[in-house]
Amino acid sequence: MKLKIYAKRLVSALLTAVVLATGVGSVAEASSLPYSSYNYTYWEDIVFTPAAYVPRSSVSGTRLEFGGESIGAFVNPQDLCKSPSGDIFVADTGNNRIVVLNSDMTQVINIVTSFDNNGMEDTFNAPYGVAVSDSNQLYIADSQNRRIVVLNKDGSLARIIENPTSEALEDGFVFTPLKVAVDYADRVYCIAQKMYEGIMVFETNNEFAGFFGTISVDITLWEKFWRKIATKEERSKSQLFIPTEFTGIDIDPSGFVYASNIDSNAIQGVRRLNPKGEDVIKKGANENLGGDLQYEGNTDYSGPSQFTDVVYRNNGIYSCLDRKRGRIFTYDHEGNLLYIFGGMGTQAGTFSMPVAIEDVGGYIVVLDAARAEISYFEPTEYGKLINEAVSLRYDGDEAQAVEIWKQVLILDENNELANTGIGKAYLTAGDYEEAMKYLELGRARDYYSVAFKRFRNDVLTANANVFLTGAAIVIAAFVVYKQVKKRRKGERRNG
Amino acid sequence: MGKYFSKEKWSYLLYTLSHPMDGFYWIRHQERGSVPIAILAVILFSFSFSANRLLASFVVNDLDPRGVDSLYELCGILVFFLLMCVSNWSVTCLMNGEGRMKDITIAVGYSTVPITVSLLLGTIVSQVVADDEQAFYTILIGIGIAYGLIMMLIGIMQVHNYTLGKTLITLFLTFVAMLIIIFITLLLANMLSQVVTFFKSIYTEIIFRG
Repeated sequence: MKLKIYAKRLVSALLTAVVLATGVGSVAEASSLPYSSYNYTYWEDIVFTPAAYVPRSSVSGTRLEFGGESIGAFVNPQDLCKSPSGDIFVADTGNNRIVVLNSDMTQVINIVTSFDNNGMEDTFNAPYGVAVSDSNQLYIADSQNRRIVVLNKDGSLARIIENPTSEALEDGFVFTPLKVAVDYADRVYCIAQKMYEGIMVFETNNEFAGFFGTISVDITLWEKFWRKIATKEERSKSQLFIPTEFTGIDIDPSGFVYASNIDSNAIQGVRRLNPKGEDVIKKGANENLGGDLQYEGNTDYSGPSQFTDVVYRNNGIYSCLDRKRGRIFTYDHEGNLLYIFGGMGTQAGTFSMPVAIEDVGGYIVVLDAARAEISYFEPTEYGKLINEAVSLRYDGDEAQAVEIWKQVLILDENNELANTGIGKAYLTAGDYEEAMKYLELGRARDYYSVAFKRFRNDVLTANANVFLTGAAIVIAAFVVYKQVKKRRKGERRNG
Repeated sequence: MGKYFSKEKWSYLLYTLSHPMDGFYWIRHQERGSVPIAILAVILFSFSFSANRLLASFVVNDLDPRGVDSLYELCGILVFFLLMCVSNWSVTCLMNGEGRMKDITIAVGYSTVPITVSLLLGTIVSQVVADDEQAFYTILIGIGIAYGLIMMLIGIMQVHNYTLGKTLITLFLTFVAMLIIIFITLLLANMLSQVVTFFKSIYTEIIFRG
């Protein structure tokens, strides 16, 4: 008997060893990521998820060659963008040049350092932002030369935007463009330094057309009260109520402008501006587009997320880059937070001063100014599935999305979006009970209510005869009871 | 035991619910009420409160069920109940209130009954309402709470033989007294812990010297 127990124990120990030996590899792989991937639940709790994107490689100037020579390290690069053909343009601000890389960033295609300005050779001074239009024109925010330079594909000068004049601009205003973007009509959107009124818009004739997407300042009643009772001296010392500046800008194919800004209240760090300059972004269930929901504490690492750049990816998905904790927050067109990844640090896949983000064929590319490096992230199966499902839903193909959402659920059982997606499909298919089950897990109150109402209706119609008979019996019983009681009372009075 | 939970006491609870003015008057003057029933009512109130927070359908309920601790809530409600009775008693003692501690306990305890019932009914109703029918649920619970509060007001008024104005003033003072009691308790706890630390450090000092 004892021998048997020993044998059993031995077998179980061996099995455990085998499981551990084979399992350790995958565990180590999962934890080898330098950051943790997480998301927020309906109750704003942190829940850890599988990684959506993992670092694949990083690119620095020292390892790149052009014409047989190393191009040298980037110096304080500030922006990168993607051309319609997939080339990547890096604004190498400290070296006063624009470096053009191929789409997988292994080769240098071109280096733009100068251009022909009416017969004179002209150079850049701290080019801070770059953009490429649909017609492959290159837009460079030449910040210290106070101008935006537009070059044709062959490197010849197309136009220069400088010295904007308008009644709206203060006297002595110095135009320092930082970030640029250009839409399908070649209108130029520019974020300029200390320009709190909003994004500056320039028409194709280089004229300053006006401000765009001004962020209004909300002063609370309490602040108004304090300003009222403060003395003049105190008021001059207190900080001014100025709107926050925009930090990054991107334009989607239909001409809507995505602009990131720093919100000290951590509520809205990104805007989607329609052609009139109104914010039309959709916020999700928790009415938040500000990155991290939990950021308490008083260390350098705590505090609201600070979105420094935004990229519109496709099918309504956009990603925001947080320079506070180096995280990338991805939202869908309904404002649902899809996944979070990235972090601060010195390992590959983390950042020390992230400044710009771009989507290159499904890969996410982040530019780090301090490390003068470009990090390259590739989607995992989990990330790909979510992207695909959200894209299908964006196209209105909810039925097809279900299969993908089910695969997401295998990887991440508590994914609320997946549960909601499946629930919605059951709802359209007419299976209200299943729909309610999934929609409750997804905590989608509105869709749950729709399913519940129909379910309730079905139950009521199916059992109408039971309910009606029951009600009739109850009423009859009540009437009889009253009669009997009356008669008894009468009898008692008589007797 | 039978004295406290007799059939008359239970039926008088129902009478008080439908006739609070008379009910509370006779509770004061003819010993018609029962303190154990009042305490039981408060405990049941705490249960229905927790049940509502835990079990109400997610359409009307924004709470994370993992954050609801019914034992903690029971203790909290009992402490609050005790605090309320004690501070009301202390205030009314000074303001010519006729009620005894017993009467105050009964007045407060009995007036939780409508809230208990409405919370339980609300929890059941919440299972069959959709998003845009939340109003039914809210109104149901709102009526229960309003009824309970009015009953408490009448109860305090009747057991002390006050006018309405004076009752409102005493209720406000009760609230202030509650805050004072909480403040003193915290102060005392803080001081006591300091004394304890003091003796502890003396002890460690002696241990190390010896």
